Amino acid sequence: MPEYAKMKKPDVKLVILGDMNVGKTSLLHRYMERKFKETISTVGGAFFLKQWGPYNISIWDTAGREQFHGLGSMYCRGAAAIILTYDVTNWQSLVELEDRFLSLTDTANSDCIFAVVGNKADLTDPEAGLKEEEEEEEGEEEGGEGEKAERPARPPPTPPSPVARRKVHREDAIALYGRILRYKMLDERASLPAEKMCFETSAKTGYNVDLLFETLFDMVLPSILKKRSGNDSPTVDLEECRGAKRTKAGCCS
Amino acid sequence: MSVKAFELVPAVERELLMGDKARITIECIECCGKHLYVGTNDCIIHHFLLEEHTTPKGKMAFSAQRLLQKYLGLKKPVNELKAASALERLIVLCDGTISVVDMVTLEAVPSGGARIRGVLSFCVNENPVNGDPFCVEIGVISAKRRTVHIYMVYEDRVQMVKEVATPEQPCALSLDGYFLCLALSTQYMILNYSTGASQDLFPYDSEEKKPIVKRIGREEFLLAAPGGLGMFATAEGVSQRAPVNWSESVIGAAISFPYVVALDEGFVTVHSMLDQQLKQTLSFRDGHILQDFEGKVVLASRKAVYVLVPLPLERQIQDLLAGHHVEEALTLAEGARRNIPKDKFQVMHRRILQQAGFIQFGQLQFLEAKEHFRKGQLDVRELISLYPLLLPASSTFTRCHPPLHEFADLNHLAQGDQEKVQRCKLFLISYLREVRSTDGANGCREDVDTALLKLYAEANHESLLDLLASDNACLLADSAPWLEKHHKYFALGLLYHYNGQDDAALQLWVQIVDGDLQDSTRSDLYEYVVDFLSFCSKVDLVWKYADWAIHKDQKVGVQIFTRRAVNDQTGTMTPDAITQYLQKYPQALVLYLEHLVLDRRIQKEKFHTHLAVLYLDRVLSLSQSEAPAQQVMEAREQLQCLLRESSLYRVQLLLGRIQDTELLRERATLHGKLEEHEQALHILVHQLKDFPSAEEYCLWMSASQDLGYRQRLFHLLLGVYLDPDVPGGDCTVAAVDLLNRHSEAFDAEHVLRLLPEGWSLQLLCPFLSGALRGTMHARRTAQVALGLARAENLQLKHDRLKWRGGPIFVSEKKGCQLCHNTFTEADCVCLPGGVPVHTHCAAHRAKDSPRKRPSTNPSNHT
Ligand SMILES: Nc1nc2c(ncn2[C@@H]2O[C@H](COP(=O)(O)OP(=O)(O)OP(=O)(O)O)[C@@H](O)[C@H]2O)c(=O)[nH]1
Ligand SMILES: [Mg+2]
Repeated sequence: MPEYAKMKKPDVKLVILGDMNVGKTSLLHRYMERKFKETISTVGGAFFLKQWGPYNISIWDTAGREQFHGLGSMYCRGAAAIILTYDVTNWQSLVELEDRFLSLTDTANSDCIFAVVGNKADLTDPEAGLKEEEEEEEGEEEGGEGEKAERPARPPPTPPSPVARRKVHREDAIALYGRILRYKMLDERASLPAEKMCFETSAKTGYNVDLLFETLFDMVLPSILKKRSGNDSPTVDLEECRGAKRTKAGCCS
Repeated sequence: MSVKAFELVPAVERELLMGDKARITIECIECCGKHLYVGTNDCIIHHFLLEEHTTPKGKMAFSAQRLLQKYLGLKKPVNELKAASALERLIVLCDGTISVVDMVTLEAVPSGGARIRGVLSFCVNENPVNGDPFCVEIGVISAKRRTVHIYMVYEDRVQMVKEVATPEQPCALSLDGYFLCLALSTQYMILNYSTGASQDLFPYDSEEKKPIVKRIGREEFLLAAPGGLGMFATAEGVSQRAPVNWSESVIGAAISFPYVVALDEGFVTVHSMLDQQLKQTLSFRDGHILQDFEGKVVLASRKAVYVLVPLPLERQIQDLLAGHHVEEALTLAEGARRNIPKDKFQVMHRRILQQAGFIQFGQLQFLEAKEHFRKGQLDVRELISLYPLLLPASSTFTRCHPPLHEFADLNHLAQGDQEKVQRCKLFLISYLREVRSTDGANGCREDVDTALLKLYAEANHESLLDLLASDNACLLADSAPWLEKHHKYFALGLLYHYNGQDDAALQLWVQIVDGDLQDSTRSDLYEYVVDFLSFCSKVDLVWKYADWAIHKDQKVGVQIFTRRAVNDQTGTMTPDAITQYLQKYPQALVLYLEHLVLDRRIQKEKFHTHLAVLYLDRVLSLSQSEAPAQQVMEAREQLQCLLRESSLYRVQLLLGRIQDTELLRERATLHGKLEEHEQALHILVHQLKDFPSAEEYCLWMSASQDLGYRQRLFHLLLGVYLDPDVPGGDCTVAAVDLLNRHSEAFDAEHVLRLLPEGWSLQLLCPFLSGALRGTMHARRTAQVALGLARAENLQLKHDRLKWRGGPIFVSEKKGCQLCHNTFTEADCVCLPGGVPVHTHCAAHRAKDSPRKRPSTNPSNHT
């Protein structure tokens, strides 16, 4: 059964932002379903629930298309972590993060953490091109025709760029991270370091995908605890007691 | 698109509403129970009574009856109508003015002040914070002033309670608690009219598209978003559900849990809030209004009114299941949990889980199926009944109606694919095992166990025997033919046995052992039967099969008796009866007597004599038949051993039988038993010339006797050795050896007198020194003992004196402490501390206070 149908109350929210086509939906599929599959351009938004130890983490996949841009700040409201995603083969996608998406994060929690993620690393980095996981890849499978017809057609994908034509370097992302901190008026020294918060991933091969999500999950745990202790409801939450003792939540088993 | 969730049913037809007046159009509607109010562009409110009924074809239909129509006296359309049923009022917006009319008469309320002017739009708070039942809270958008007002509408007046300024001109609103959800000209926002706090939601362009703001539940709203989305937003301004994807031109939206219904120019679309998927599309031209009233979704074109009747949830779920949309069906069912009474929900949910399980079972997705069966608490017989012939004929089970699945039986399901059938059977085996190990088989254990037995038998499954050997409820009548069919005769025997029919069980097993029935389950079945008989408590059965068992192999067969628990050997099963019976089977008889005499050590002369005689007979017959010496030896050893060890047999009888045979050694033993040691030793020494045996004889015969007895025996032996009358019998060497080796067993003085004069000292040195050492040792031991005894005596004396203490004086002048009379005689008792009292006084006192008995020291001292 799809996770979202169960309607559990999430403890914490994570939002993925980024221009269309950078691979936000693919990253989530890779992480949640361990597959790389054909996507359609996201309409509006979608969300998934991930059980992480005793916690429920909701992860919102947003639509990158200009048309849905206005919805972004609503999705970001109350977010504990935001993943700003660009496409390593597309310089403009990095520019868009700063121009268009950064302001959406104003509604996020004051202690929200940011990750800058360059996806499609398989196209530029030979190491990322190696298949990380053994799972079968269904990338080229065609989706149902009927479903496609009801959805807006995906604009032609960016032509794969050879290694030589790499458009975005990691340093560019690190620089962006610094500007994000400045935009947020955060002290660079008191914040999480750029080296830790800038990732290069590939939804296609799985490269760094688990690392990205699980690093963030572990980082948002304090935010969960704060939220829980902050609400002084008279109900005793048994899970909280259990959770509070844990120093680090293991992956759900 | 998988569900048919709604059916479009006409409610008020065009003719009834406006006849053929082409100009007239519907502007707004309100529905309250059976009352339907329609406002039209000619400033008229129409009031209908809407009756629901079912057509003869089983379809839902509405009949509308016009109750009243009221012209409001203007040339303007009626814009909005909202009923306040508790107040019996209808709130009307017409020409920018809100007025309140009577719900029944549609006449204006007498009081004049109940009007609000300059109104663009208004909404009713369905979840007011103020709980006053005699007023209705409404939110009102001013036409020009970029404000929203909150009013309380009472039966006869209207009162403004709050004015809230907005950053832009609002054009649509919804209210929940203190929260105003507003569509402004360029964005949506949430405003708390109590605190004034606001929350921007997202931008949109009201010029381009008509906004929709729809309260869908506590503090949650549904909003039309750019890109044809239906966005959900909570009062905190957060989206908790993913948006639904409408078309760009949505005009209206309504909620009918769990669906979001939306209207655009050509269609009504139905999305599920549970998974955001599009579930149904109904084509509808000229749609104008879509609203829900207390769960009823009403749809209107400009000319007529319709109701979107939700199909019963169960029907929808059944449709989904029929299309094998298992997950969707379960999602829908679980989503409805909160909207259905708990017990009803559980019944429904269980059934759906079961159905889902069967669908997955049909697709051989056993893991999922099992999970659903378990969660749905499936009566396991539903599943068993799919497999032909597995349920016992006597089972009272009938499949649930309506059926949980579409399969007639397994063959129907597998369409002749034998591999599928096999996989299904394996699944059932594992499932039934699980059911047995939990308490899922409550109330139908017989059916479950019998089915499992049949499956095991058919599959040649090793667990068949485990099932039968453990606690089970397999039905004999039903299982027996099945086991026979599959040649599981041994198992059938077990089943008979489990049902107390041991005779039937034995008959079967005997037939298998004898080769009349073929079943190779146990290669050691004969031993098994013997073992079975040895434990069988039905004595008549044991007798019945004893012949068969012993006849087959006396050695094994006799275990029927020898292995039998001792306290089971009663009635006709006594050792006497058994020995009597075993007369026909000599080998078995010997084994049985050995069991009695040697193992159980029964002290009965009869058995001992019998066994001895049988042993003797065997030795005799063996030695006559010139059997190998080894065999004879063994037989004799057995006999000798018995003769020696036992002392219960009739010695004379055996002696009589042995008299004329060569069995000298045995004869010696028998003489020994009669205490005729001289004869015995004579045989051993002179006839057998076996000196070591003779010596051993003495040791052994005197083993449990005193030293004197042993000395007597050794002296006897010495006498026999030295007997000068026996021809050729100079046993001097033996005698010397004997003396030297067993010096302690002789009375040296006596021996010295017996010995011939001529023997040298040298020869007897070991004997003499041994004897000397012995006597010395005895003497010294005695001295030590004496010394010790003296010391002990002294010690005792010392103790006694100590106890007594000093002398106690009693005289005629001294009084007894207890009675204060004087002592007349010397007898007295001393109390602790040496106080003398009369003996009788002390006795008295002891009797009077039995608990606090004084520890008196009786003493006869004067
Ligand atoms: N080579 C490569 N292609 C990728 C990778 N991730 C995504 N893609 C491709 O990029 C395209 C866009 O992927 P999506 O995941 O749909 O992009 P998105 O960011 O969700 O786009 P929107 O939903 O429109 O905002 C698809 O054709 C994917 O197959 C990647 O890691 N490597
Ligand atoms: Mg996407």
